[in-house]
Amino acid sequence: MAQPIPSEPSRRDFLKLAAGAAGAAGVVGAPWVARKVQAKPTTIVFARESSYVKNFDEHFQKVMIPAYQKATGIKIDYQIQAAGGSAVPQLVSMVENKSGADLAWVQQEWLYRDALVDVSDIAEAVGKEQGGWYEEIKALSVDNGKWKSVPQANIGQCMVYRKDWFEEAGIKSFPETWDEFLEAGIKLKAKGHPYGMSMGHGFADNYSWLYPLLWSYGVTVMDKTGKKVALDTNETAKAVDYVRKLYKEACIEDCVGWLDPHNNKAFLTSQISCTNNAYSIMVSAKRDLPEMGKVVDHALNPKGPNGQRYHSLVPVTHGVFAYGPDPQAAKDFLRWIMDPKQYRPWISSGDMYFAPYLHAFDKFPDWDIEPRVKPYQKVLETGKLTSWPAPANRAHGAVINRWVVIDMFSKACTGAPTKTVIAEAVGQLKQIYGVA
Amino acid sequence: MSRVVEASRAPALERAHRPFAWGRLREFVEREAVFSWLMFTPPVLFLLAFLGYPFFYGVYLSFFRREVAGPATFVGLGNFVKLADDPIFWQSIGNTIKFTAAATVLKALGGLGMALVMNQNFRMKALTRAMLLLPFIVPTVLSTVAWQWIFDPGLGLFNRLLVVSGLTKTGVSWLGTPTMAMISIIIVNTWRGLPFFGISILAGLQTIPVELHESATIDGAGSWGRFRYVTLPSLLPVIFIVTTFSIIFTFFDFQLVYVLTGGGPANSTHLMATYAYSLSMGAGQMGLGSAVALSMVPVLGLLLVLLTFYVRKA
Repeated sequence: MAQPIPSEPSRRDFLKLAAGAAGAAGVVGAPWVARKVQAKPTTIVFARESSYVKNFDEHFQKVMIPAYQKATGIKIDYQIQAAGGSAVPQLVSMVENKSGADLAWVQQEWLYRDALVDVSDIAEAVGKEQGGWYEEIKALSVDNGKWKSVPQANIGQCMVYRKDWFEEAGIKSFPETWDEFLEAGIKLKAKGHPYGMSMGHGFADNYSWLYPLLWSYGVTVMDKTGKKVALDTNETAKAVDYVRKLYKEACIEDCVGWLDPHNNKAFLTSQISCTNNAYSIMVSAKRDLPEMGKVVDHALNPKGPNGQRYHSLVPVTHGVFAYGPDPQAAKDFLRWIMDPKQYRPWISSGDMYFAPYLHAFDKFPDWDIEPRVKPYQKVLETGKLTSWPAPANRAHGAVINRWVVIDMFSKACTGAPTKTVIAEAVGQLKQIYGVA
Repeated sequence: MSRVVEASRAPALERAHRPFAWGRLREFVEREAVFSWLMFTPPVLFLLAFLGYPFFYGVYLSFFRREVAGPATFVGLGNFVKLADDPIFWQSIGNTIKFTAAATVLKALGGLGMALVMNQNFRMKALTRAMLLLPFIVPTVLSTVAWQWIFDPGLGLFNRLLVVSGLTKTGVSWLGTPTMAMISIIIVNTWRGLPFFGISILAGLQTIPVELHESATIDGAGSWGRFRYVTLPSLLPVIFIVTTFSIIFTFFDFQLVYVLTGGGPANSTHLMATYAYSLSMGAGQMGLGSAVALSMVPVLGLLLVLLTFYVRKA
């Protein structure tokens, strides 16, 4: 947490003075005065999940942090949290204990928005100077008209596939529709190269294809208001039947229980020909398996019966905790990192693994360095939050963390009838949202 | 008057000016009533701080609708009523009972076998005993990551052995079907808990007087007879206590399921501990998560009562 510099007047000293002054004048406004003369913090703690792109973290640690320290004298304590689902419990624990970090990558921020300060001034200024924000991200960061977090970027999720194996199976280009995707998968599985589409209790690689698939069947989980369950439709049944068939005829059996690291491992050990993932697989392949690195490619999610294709957003947003000793200092730092002078080189260092939600980056030259990364830029155009079109709130968080929709599909794949799995999911949704 | 006062104060003043009396302090501390309290207080304070407080806070939370960073609203038994209608809650109870029962039986039988073998004389016995403790020593998260590789469908040890030996044409999906996923977590828990049984029962075995075995042999008992009528009855108290502790540990198991399956596929390996965690720390429903965790208490409390009675009787 932010610590005051001892050589300057301490907060305690000031509070004594302020309390005395307030008492003498009969004024109750001491806290405001306290803010104005508060001692500059020596340290700001910034918590972020580790990145799969080493350069991105290194740029932050070796270039940005020293620059900020030099300019302000404030030390940045960069706490890297392990990737893979453990960051949310850590953040929850921090919020509950009102300690740990001054600002953070606030994953699943709907859980603790009340503990975040208003950062509208920063978000609006950043949007204004960098081409404006993509609309969809506002559904996450803006709460009751106030920005509670500043979006940093999206970690794109796309189809990752072995181009060589697809070509060997006679598939010249990546399937355009889910039906074509199934057809191609049957051919590939027959050749010993099944798909590996995650359906277990992970937090990204399962949602990133099952939700878009559902949406492309014209189904959403809740309606726009978030007060009516919209899942109970014939189209949902068709989507469930499709996934069951895809699993049985085109996928490796294990994928129904996979967590987020499993598909990376299976792809890199040549057990599967296609999965849905961020482009971390290509990063690892290029680094450790150069031959495979040449034949990995990416494609957008196929289109569904409604003629649309969708993607699931995996947002990285930064928020400032209200309980910290000096939220303004943390806000100043957040404003500084989002300044184009810092922000653009930082994004560049990540090889576009982190795609900004700002339109100024639509024609960012770095998108053209590796053409195979280009689909991850397109994700922003068709990307939706998993809550879409309903608000991203606590109830939605419960649906995600209880894997209600994911388990609807995985239960069907492991033998349960379509009607039963939909009825169970609908029942859980009604209970979570408290609607009839 | 003042002289009387002065005189009455004299002994006290004398005591106050006397050098510090280590002997008296020692005498005080060594009194049984004082010494026992001195020994008793630190662990009690420790337990109150690190077990008592979280436990009672959990009990408190279970009666409230309380979300992360949000205010608490008293709902009485509302959380428990909500859980009664939650199919995943009932599934996690069923899973926990299946998991605990199967793993405990396997650990008890395996541990008994392990102890009987370890009780024999053979070369490198000490080293073998030390090696058998490894599963217990290695951090669970670390060993579970290794098990992830062992269960890997293509490259995993089990499937390689099955395919290379010709037993099956393709490997088994260890974590991909509800039944196999449950079997897999039972295997890992058994592997990890076996040394606890083995070493405890071995200690029990070594306390059985040789004379009992000699008498049984003279009376015509064979190996099975000696085991059935001498070894097993002598070991029963140890087996009972170890089994009770193991049930408690297994009932609470969290790490291996969290790392290996996350409770999937389709909640088939969700235990009460992992479900409580996903509700509290994932979904931020602290009250509901606490209610799940609290639901474990009656079963474990009953076991604890049984254990206490047994120990007293013994």
